[in-house]
Amino acid sequence: MEGECHFLEGNLRAKMWVTYTKGLLDEIGIEPERLKMFNLSSSMAPQFKEAVEEMIEVAKKLGPTKIQNKAA
Amino acid sequence: MIVAERKPFEDIKAMIEDYNKILVVGCGECVSVCMAGGEKEVQILASQLRLAFEEQGKEIEVDETTLERQCDKEYLEEIKDKIDDYDAIISMACGAGVQFLAEMYNNKSVYPALNTCFIGVAEREGEWSERCRACGDCVLAETGGICPVAICAKGLLNGPCGGTNDGKCELSKEKDCAWTLIYNRLKDLDKLDNIREIFPPKKYSAQTTPGRRIHEAFKEKE
Amino acid sequence: MAKSFKEALESGKFVVTAEVGPPKGVEIEEMKHHINLLKDKVDGLNVTDNQSSVMRIGSLPVCKLIKEIGGEPILQMTCRDRNRLALQSELLGAYILGITNVLCLTGDYITVGDHVDAKPVFDLDSALLLQVIKGLEEGKDIAGNELKGNPTFCKGAIVTPEANPIEPQLMKFEKKIKAGAEFIQTQAIYDLDNFKKFMKYARKFNVKIMAGIVLLVSAGMARYMNANVPGIFVPKDLIDEMASAEKGKALAKGVEIAGRMIKTLKDENICDGVHIMAIGKEDKVPDILEAAGIA
Repeated sequence: MEGECHFLEGNLRAKMWVTYTKGLLDEIGIEPERLKMFNLSSSMAPQFKEAVEEMIEVAKKLGPTKIQNKAA
Repeated sequence: MIVAERKPFEDIKAMIEDYNKILVVGCGECVSVCMAGGEKEVQILASQLRLAFEEQGKEIEVDETTLERQCDKEYLEEIKDKIDDYDAIISMACGAGVQFLAEMYNNKSVYPALNTCFIGVAEREGEWSERCRACGDCVLAETGGICPVAICAKGLLNGPCGGTNDGKCELSKEKDCAWTLIYNRLKDLDKLDNIREIFPPKKYSAQTTPGRRIHEAFKEKE
Repeated sequence: MAKSFKEALESGKFVVTAEVGPPKGVEIEEMKHHINLLKDKVDGLNVTDNQSSVMRIGSLPVCKLIKEIGGEPILQMTCRDRNRLALQSELLGAYILGITNVLCLTGDYITVGDHVDAKPVFDLDSALLLQVIKGLEEGKDIAGNELKGNPTFCKGAIVTPEANPIEPQLMKFEKKIKAGAEFIQTQAIYDLDNFKKFMKYARKFNVKIMAGIVLLVSAGMARYMNANVPGIFVPKDLIDEMASAEKGKALAKGVEIAGRMIKTLKDENICDGVHIMAIGKEDKVPDILEAAGIA
């Protein structure tokens, strides 16, 4: 869980970079909500499923971008 | 190191949006260390540009490369063979690198992606602070190794102004007063006599001319 | 104005100066009114130099105006907006216009004012500016070139007796005296006990000290200055006294406090004079002087 990473402060650092990356997306006109970080351990399958479903909902709600995946 | 920060994305994008093929050139020295214009930042900027143009339905090709450094001709020459494939170059080096790149490839439009901020040090990961103004006339021997030119907002050589408060600068409570630091350091070193006499006016001539330095060994001898 | 400011300083009398802040724009009637009101009541009128880094009419033309009206101007000069060429040539210019009193300041930083993107100069500092003037008086410019005709000035500087920490400030104060300062106008002082301590130290030097008196207009202003203005400390009892004033009488209370402080400074011979800064309330200066018994 947050701050209790197997790699010590790893997930706190990841959180920092995820926040930064959301800003990068925002700069180029892509909704930052398309990226979200969840803290999960390997034994949290149900929560993982919930997270995936949540992100599917976000993607459905925002609709497709014009990006055809050849760019990045 | 030279510390820089990236210009706002919108500004960079506006500079190059009329071109079709762009090369983003990073620099592996200072700006790489200060996370502004190294390989990683080149990847981020190039990705952002590609995504942003694609989102707008614009066809612009953006390629990436990062040189060892941009302030040496031998490294700049590495892109000699491919430079003509591009309409414009974005340099992610400091102002010196951008200029040297533009000078070497003077038929290309070269655009800066960074604002060069200062010569400084890494306080901690992700945080840098200014230490040197490259004034050409170092006074650190007198001031206990703390530079009043770079750290005092007014560059004062004869002690603090009246705006200092609790060891901070009148500009910001975040900014240390250089002269409080200097005073305290010299007091600890028992060297306050260093700053009791009036320090002469700064020789700004050292800073402005000639802007060129030749190592003693390389000077032409008679 | 019978005596020059320098003569007043040297006469040993309790010297009083006040301040004129040039306006932003060319509407000068109000400023002229203040000059007329004050010119015969004080020994000198400081004219601020783009005070707080806010662009206004320059100090020199207003000094000339004061001279024409019959007052004794003190030219404030900061190092913020002019390099050493401009400062020296302005000093020579001031002299030929008969303006011979100069207060040397470093100047507030650019970004505290209304032209935040301007280039800050700070080629010299206040101590060096004093030294430059001494050089001009000796017939040499800062680069060592000979002058054709030497000016003479009455040179002043400032000090902040409440600065924290005080030691670096005092070191600079001593440099200013070495550089030829003849008078010192202090930052606003309110705590007389602390000021007496400063004076005990300052009396060791051959320089006239004029205490800075800033008129309090409300308890809020006092609290604001304590929180935001470096080197100003208003003690709690003075804030309480301001707060105790009846509604609409705060300014009168401020005048009373300023008058009382000046009277104490004079009667107890604590310092050599006062410099009254009535920022925006220049028409109250005569009342302050009356309250101090110097009318």
